Amino acid sequence: MKPETVPLAERMIPANLQASPITDGPVSLVSLDDQVLAHVDRKPPAAWFLAFAVTSTVMLIGFALIGYTISTGIGVWGNNIPVAWGFDIINFVFWVGIGHAGTLISAILLLFRARWRNAISRFAEAMTIFAVLCAVLFPLIHVGRPWLGFWLMPYPNQRGIWPNFRSPLIWDVFAVSTYFAVSLLFWYLGLVPDLASLRDRTKQKLRKFIYQTLCFGWRGSSSHWRHFEKAYTILAGLATGLVLSVHSVVSFDFAVSLVPGWHMTIFPPYFVVGAIFAGFAMVVLVLSLVRKTMRLENLITMYHLDVMNKVILTCSCLMGYAYLMEGFTAWYSMNDSIHHTFKQYIAGTYAWAGWLTIACNILIPQLLWFKKSRRSYAVMIFVALSVTIGMWLERFVIIVSSLHQDFLVSSWRVYVPTPVDIGILLGTFGLFFTLVLLFARVLPVIATTEMKIVLPGSQPRHEGGSHA
Amino acid sequence: MKEAPMHNRVFSVLGLFDSAQHLMDAVPFVKSKASGRLEAYTPYPVHGIEKVIQQRKSPLAGMVFIMGAIGAISGLALELWTSGIDYPLTTAAKPFLSWEAFVPIMFEVTVLFACFTAGLGMLLLLNRLPFFRHPMLRTRSMPLITKNKFALAIEADGQLLDVDATVKVLLEAGAESTEVVAEPEVPGLLSPKFFFRAFLSIAIVCITAGYITYWGIKLFPVSVPMRHMLNQPRLGPQQQSSFFKDGFGMRMPVAGTVARGHLPYAIEDQNDAGVLANPLPRTEEVLKKGRQNFSIFCSVCHGILGDGKTSLTAAYGAKPANLDSQTFRDYEDGKIYHVIVAGKNSMPSYAAELTEDERWSVIHYVRALQRAYDAKDEDIPKENPR
Repeated sequence: MKPETVPLAERMIPANLQASPITDGPVSLVSLDDQVLAHVDRKPPAAWFLAFAVTSTVMLIGFALIGYTISTGIGVWGNNIPVAWGFDIINFVFWVGIGHAGTLISAILLLFRARWRNAISRFAEAMTIFAVLCAVLFPLIHVGRPWLGFWLMPYPNQRGIWPNFRSPLIWDVFAVSTYFAVSLLFWYLGLVPDLASLRDRTKQKLRKFIYQTLCFGWRGSSSHWRHFEKAYTILAGLATGLVLSVHSVVSFDFAVSLVPGWHMTIFPPYFVVGAIFAGFAMVVLVLSLVRKTMRLENLITMYHLDVMNKVILTCSCLMGYAYLMEGFTAWYSMNDSIHHTFKQYIAGTYAWAGWLTIACNILIPQLLWFKKSRRSYAVMIFVALSVTIGMWLERFVIIVSSLHQDFLVSSWRVYVPTPVDIGILLGTFGLFFTLVLLFARVLPVIATTEMKIVLPGSQPRHEGGSHA
Repeated sequence: MKEAPMHNRVFSVLGLFDSAQHLMDAVPFVKSKASGRLEAYTPYPVHGIEKVIQQRKSPLAGMVFIMGAIGAISGLALELWTSGIDYPLTTAAKPFLSWEAFVPIMFEVTVLFACFTAGLGMLLLLNRLPFFRHPMLRTRSMPLITKNKFALAIEADGQLLDVDATVKVLLEAGAESTEVVAEPEVPGLLSPKFFFRAFLSIAIVCITAGYITYWGIKLFPVSVPMRHMLNQPRLGPQQQSSFFKDGFGMRMPVAGTVARGHLPYAIEDQNDAGVLANPLPRTEEVLKKGRQNFSIFCSVCHGILGDGKTSLTAAYGAKPANLDSQTFRDYEDGKIYHVIVAGKNSMPSYAAELTEDERWSVIHYVRALQRAYDAKDEDIPKENPR
């Protein structure tokens, strides 16, 4: 970094308080393009094909089981009465939550001007889209006749009826479909300038044509950039509200009902934090693999992983608070049913899941208090895996443990998932990672244009003012 | 400045700079020396450049606000109208216009409208993309601009550009290299080539879609994956039952019971039925009802005028009664009623088809037909109602 490119105000800040460099070693505009965009032209290594074979096989098994479910009926799942919501809703909430990290990184951190987000935003946004795709599968299968799914949309029909707009389930339909559409738009707009770069790099005629079409003939004129940047900021602001609303609405599915253990006002913030928590764990998991296998260590640096691990730690502490608050609410309610449900969490049939949740989400992430473990692959992958498992189990506890013993003692039943349930869950993991692998091959995994903005010396000096 | 000739027009002159700083520094100089519209082309947004070359502020925020407001209003209006007015739905004892429950979807619709206005409004409306014929896209500078070079363009903007002078100004301003971009020959939108291409693509799409649909239906016959509750273990009408001894799927009423809305009819001989009196008043409403039922059930055999001239074919052997004849004019209402209930000769019972009131209304109508058949002078209205 040349000293004169650093603003005066920043030069006066003591070294230990200055922001860490966002890249390891010097990165120029050309070397960035050569490093990131060249992946698209290169033949993938054997390991990629191996991974793709595994994930796509798992995905196809999942699809076959979905086909079996649809042709036979929901009876092939472990759902029963009173546990009418089983794996389907657990997985739905889990995957929607995974998606939230992407929007947080792309939108909220953009508003906060966190410069480190630019290196990971593209990948995280892509993961959002793939995770939401996995999520919407579940309610669609659970309705039993997915081809009638359009009934959820309000349209004039010969039956003369409309969806019930006072139902949180229909709020969900709107929230998740809006979230998916907006995430896709946000991601694609960010891709447009990168696709233009790809267009200008390639020599093949067909590829040039495809990229040209996909980037709408982007030419990078400053009269376009001013609208582009404005749109990006506005989208970030709107997506911030959206991402907070989506998981709040998901939590309303539970909180608006009268089931003990669900009917709590803490649910919306609790769910949003949980979503970001699980999502960041997944981002860390995938990015730590991606930076290694795709040789992006100088762009997605240990600093990035360190910061993300700090976010995970923060979320873990907030989750701990939420769990304690659940216990407090149960005690303070002086309500036998709520007491009973809370006792089920910690001492009932599914107490193992309850304690495993606490161990995975609250205890293990405490390792991240130490800088050494925040920068160690082994520790961060261990923590990320445990958070992923823990957050899935948390939804299992909330849903199954609360439902399996309801108000009517005669209808209490234990819920046991069937192999079909588990197969479909694994199948969505297959789908998710298949899409991640495909994405890593065909599109730039790092938003080069956004990276170029924050590279040292890329912006002109501002005498006497910052460009915040 | 005079108008340039149509051919060999220059669209713009580009100067390439190696950093955003150099580009920014060059703008004031170039602006003072060269004439023409300034435009910068950069690999990424350079902050502040739009101020230096004095481009107006993006109006996007206002557009987004307006569309967001429209989204909010239309979302709320949709919810209020559908669940409060068009199909008032009672849920959880909430009032029909419970706006609080409508806030989440209103919010989502607002965000949806606002986001797509921001994204597509920027791309399609303000930036006028896609635009694949822009002269910049064919320059050799374009691949450099999307990579690491910063271009300052002086665009002719419909005027004649002094190319040599402009190139000199750009070089003086510190440009590494320059490029003269020629104005492309604009192919007319309505040229025969365009029409031919458009026609060809539409034809290809139609033929392909048609073939795919044809073969798709042929190879994968429309199958119902789930029988939508059509498959039910119940007996349809007239089906045999293996459960009951007599093999009938349908059951007779229990002896001694009377079905709702039906009075038992005890008279067996037609001559005894004369005692029954028509309980209905002779109003226009009753006559209308009678005419309707007569047309549906009676007129097939007795004729639309009741004169026994049937609309059935000659193959129908029986001879339906002429209701307008003196015999039937002399019949008491009760005797006609008996025939409707019990049948006579070839005529079956119509008890199942006609309710009691309907039978009596038919009798009123038959009386009207009889009078009309043998109308007297005094039956004709004195004045023409018109």
